[in-house]
Amino acid sequence: MSGGFALWTRRYAAMIRNAWLVNLQYRASIVLWVLWGVTEPAIALGIWWAIAGDGAVGGYARADFARYFFGVMLVNALTIAWDSWQLDHWIREGDLNYRLARPINPVHESLADNLAYKARSAGTILLVWLIAASVWPAVRLPLDPGRWALVAVAVSFAAAMRFFISFTTGLLAFWTTRATAIMELHAGVAMFLAGRVAPLALLPPAVATIAQFLWFPYMLAFPVALLTGAAPTTGELILGFGGQVIWLAVWIAAYRLAWQRGLRRYGAVGG
Amino acid sequence: MPPAIAARALSKDFQVKVRDPGLRGAVAALFRPRYRAVHAVRGVSFEIAPGEIVAFLGPNGAGKTTTIKMLAGLLYPSSGTVQVTGFDPWTGGPDFKRRIALVLGNRQQLVWDLPAQETFQLNRAIYDIALPDFQARVKELADLLGLDEVLDKPVRQLSLGERMKCELAAALLHRPPILFLDEPTLGLDVSAQDAIRRFLTAYRDRFGATILLTSHYMQDVTALASRVLIINRGRLLYDGALDALVARIARTKRLELVLGDGVSERRLAEFGTVKSFRSPNAVLEVPRAEAAATSARLLAALPVIDLSIEDPPIEEVIRQAFAEADGGGEEPTE
Repeated sequence: MSGGFALWTRRYAAMIRNAWLVNLQYRASIVLWVLWGVTEPAIALGIWWAIAGDGAVGGYARADFARYFFGVMLVNALTIAWDSWQLDHWIREGDLNYRLARPINPVHESLADNLAYKARSAGTILLVWLIAASVWPAVRLPLDPGRWALVAVAVSFAAAMRFFISFTTGLLAFWTTRATAIMELHAGVAMFLAGRVAPLALLPPAVATIAQFLWFPYMLAFPVALLTGAAPTTGELILGFGGQVIWLAVWIAAYRLAWQRGLRRYGAVGG
Repeated sequence: MPPAIAARALSKDFQVKVRDPGLRGAVAALFRPRYRAVHAVRGVSFEIAPGEIVAFLGPNGAGKTTTIKMLAGLLYPSSGTVQVTGFDPWTGGPDFKRRIALVLGNRQQLVWDLPAQETFQLNRAIYDIALPDFQARVKELADLLGLDEVLDKPVRQLSLGERMKCELAAALLHRPPILFLDEPTLGLDVSAQDAIRRFLTAYRDRFGATILLTSHYMQDVTALASRVLIINRGRLLYDGALDALVARIARTKRLELVLGDGVSERRLAEFGTVKSFRSPNAVLEVPRAEAAATSARLLAALPVIDLSIEDPPIEEVIRQAFAEADGGGEEPTE
């Protein structure tokens, strides 16, 4: 009927709409996931709040920790990806079969799902922040359009990277029944190296150095620093965005490789 | 006219992990995994003309589903070639996928929590179907399948039969010329099975579609397919009309009798093998070539009220075909 941009817009609109309609059937789980998204940074904040007392830890006073962990909460909600669980299920249960018979790569369905649940949970968390900011000056952010534009770009790169990490790890289900366990392991490492439990500046120097050479800081800590930290230097921006672009390219390449090899290997379980 | 589907020397091997039972076996498999090659499909060749309905028969694990998945481009063949409407399924991409429908009886594409109508809308966007065409096709499919009442109900509330009908409708909205159906009537009651068979025939007649289906229900085969492919242990045993298979394989005929009083089972057994005897009805099996002569002798010697000569049930013929192949020096699958 038509091609290109209009067709893909209609496809994504239809897939996101369906994802929302399904989500509406499971309202309780939405509440639970949003609660989880708030609880983890809240606990980390509580601990650092107590440690910092009236002084500062590694240059972070209480207000800095508050702003940092609210930043973590929002950026995490905007970049989170659970797609490995879905993909693992598709592959192991045979639900990938009819998806492969359609004229559209299943990665688009995952991406649409990802956008759907992210829009929903990030919207809720943004609301939590707005309420908190109205009563608590520490978590307010300066209204600086330039910085917000940089944050938007960094969050988009981080979201894309986390999506491809999750999707590619899910593709490991072509080879192993433990793909989701690998994703859990990744999430565990990311707790520390991506800056979820503490700002990277507070990690032991050796660990922080190792982290700089991996993708973890670029999927969360860098956009959070842009959002909540001091104005970045040009060097920091080049390093941060450079790291994001390189690691995104690496993960997209890994996805393409895993997809092509995995399909060839596909045992097509379930019938 | 070029064939709609052509498979040449198609083979598929799987590597299956094997391990000894118990904890020790599990640990050993962790460090020294062992694999075994399973030859799911071996050198299968056939052609299907446009508009043909062909049934794929074989016991569980015979290689039917694996072959269908190779034809639909889901599985990569270990060797051999496939052409479906002129495309290589593996490299055909979206243009190829728009020309096929794949329905798996044990897996559904309908979104479980939503009405089937929502999956239809999704497929409209995915297959890029213009709105007037979409509306006309939904109406047409709903009429043919009797779906008017069910399209707005969440799929999870539908009966198995209603679900399969919606599944077929969802798979056919883009009006594909090639249908791959894997057990489309699995678990359905007799009337739902019948409705689906009638629908498939009507769809083929109306759009000239080519249909390849697998089924365990012989009624599906006898009602739908003009031709059968019989596969066992990955090898194609037979390709042709069902009647011809019966004539080739079945060495016997069944004489179905209604007898008058005073005929004992022992007396009847003098004419052939008594398959059942429940007075006044009896079924006698006799060598195919002697069916006519034995009938004449029976009519002359016994008080026969009614007599008909039938082929053995098709299930029996197929079983016999498999048994012959197994006894014919076939090497094991693995």
